[in-house]
Amino acid sequence: MQDKLFRPLWRIGCVVLLLTILGPAAVWGAVGCDLNDPDRDVARLFPESTGYKTIYQSIQKKGGERLLATVEKRLGDKFRGLYETIDVPYTIYEIFSGKKKIGYIHGINQKGQFGGIQVFLVLNLDGSIRGFYIQKMTSQYAAKLRDARFGKSFTGLTLKDFDGYDVVSGKATGRVASIKNPAQEAEADFRAALRATKKNLILMDEFVFSSR
Amino acid sequence: MITKFQIAYKNLLRKKIRSLLTLISIALSSWVLISLLGFNQGYEASLNKDIDNMGFQLMIMAKGCPYEAATLMLKGGTGLRYMDESIMKDIVREPEVDRITPIMMSAVFDPNKGESGGISAYFGVEPKSFAQMKPFLKFKQGDWFTDENGYETVMGFEAAELEQREVGDVILMPEKNVQFKVVGILERTGTQDDGTIFVPLQTLQKIFHRTNEITTIGIKLKKGVSSVRLEEQLYKLPDVQIVSLEQVKDTIMKLISTAKIMVLSIAVIAILIAMVGVINTILTSVWERFQEIGILKTVGAMPWDIFELIWIETLILCTTGGILGILLAFILAGLTDMAMRFLLPYAPGGGLVLIDLKLVVITLAGIIAIGLLSGIYPAWKAGRIRPLEAIRGEVGK
Repeated sequence: MQDKLFRPLWRIGCVVLLLTILGPAAVWGAVGCDLNDPDRDVARLFPESTGYKTIYQSIQKKGGERLLATVEKRLGDKFRGLYETIDVPYTIYEIFSGKKKIGYIHGINQKGQFGGIQVFLVLNLDGSIRGFYIQKMTSQYAAKLRDARFGKSFTGLTLKDFDGYDVVSGKATGRVASIKNPAQEAEADFRAALRATKKNLILMDEFVFSSR
Repeated sequence: MITKFQIAYKNLLRKKIRSLLTLISIALSSWVLISLLGFNQGYEASLNKDIDNMGFQLMIMAKGCPYEAATLMLKGGTGLRYMDESIMKDIVREPEVDRITPIMMSAVFDPNKGESGGISAYFGVEPKSFAQMKPFLKFKQGDWFTDENGYETVMGFEAAELEQREVGDVILMPEKNVQFKVVGILERTGTQDDGTIFVPLQTLQKIFHRTNEITTIGIKLKKGVSSVRLEEQLYKLPDVQIVSLEQVKDTIMKLISTAKIMVLSIAVIAILIAMVGVINTILTSVWERFQEIGILKTVGAMPWDIFELIWIETLILCTTGGILGILLAFILAGLTDMAMRFLLPYAPGGGLVLIDLKLVVITLAGIIAIGLLSGIYPAWKAGRIRPLEAIRGEVGK
């Protein structure tokens, strides 16, 4: 009798087990580059905000192949591989305080040494960086690159500052040159973060600031 | 010559607002009904697909409380119970068994995943036996690893996309700081495999110090055999539990069925309420046209003609409302899918709402049938109107 009751209960339990742990997909964040918890993250990154609006854009939608060519030229590098394609959706968070827009948050995926790096920029209305946030990164030295002190080195930088940064060779001039790698052992990821920042700024310029 | 259909249609247009409101009520209740019936079909179809895509019909796991294991897994520990690989020798001897494959699931906590970290899960598999269980798995790039002790990995499509990995790249297992070379990326399957990272079983056992231990055995049965005897035999094995995926599916469907019955009841009640609205609309229309119907009978219309006229009005309302409701269900299917995923504790991959031609026809036929039944009383009442009384203006007798 007990066994007859136990078996169905056990099967239900196995369903729970199967469907939680056999579903690693459930523990991965969104495949695009969205904030994991926008309500929480926007409030943290923009403490004075009262709300936000989410906009989706893509290079294909905004300007197609011509825009892609423009972005690649400005970046100084081609879009590479299986995942850096013309149809990737980009999520732009417009941040508001009351009815007044006060800034933007935008993230992009970047290939790192051991996994994808999700780099979010917190931007003022003039396009200058007010915050730098790595939401996800896989590396033994990730903690150093995700440290707030490293993020602070991006504060105040603009797209113009990145004009002199060569994403291929890693050579930097001006203010970008003063950004120090906090994890020498993770040079590839440091350069990936800089590439991601430049790409992020270029895309925001094309999607938002140039349109205004 | 004007037809009865045209007369009925024009009669409905005489009171546009009333007819429109009645139409809307039928459309809304039809939408709810067909969406729920579509959900019934879609959920079961998606669940079948998910279960079938697991590749095996039975799973053996170590004895232990699965709820505790799931909780521990979600908190970042392994939390799983392990069994010795040697029991595979006993299982493979059973006559119903076609093939088996051992699996070891393990997880590590990654503090650099989001604000508060997250877990990364890994499946240790024997590529030869696992691939035989799932011949439908196709590769976007590369192939399975061949070295049973190698540090190579095959990634599901979404896992690879999240990590921006291609064949030749390297991934790092957090906590253990072990690197794996990506040798294969699977095509998207729409199942849990999309988010899975597969590594060689022996390698994973070594990393987690679980030599000769596994968490699961997948069993594929020979075609056409029953698993009942086999399950009874397998229960005799020490310290293991048997999961029949067919029974898991039945359990999930039973869990859902109570909710489905309740919600379907509500949909049926909504339809009945809409039909009461139809009766009300048509009856009101009959009372308003009392004298007109009397005159029609005076000039030669038979009771059956009047009955037909009124019944056709009901048919037009129910058919139009039903079709509108079905169209609404198609348009809002995506929204319904999202709402169901939000509300349900578990939703399989794939579409949850499946509305096919058969369902459309059955639902529309049902709505029309109920509508025609509703229309019988007003039509009968109209047919019974006495011409002289109607002309004299005596209403309602």
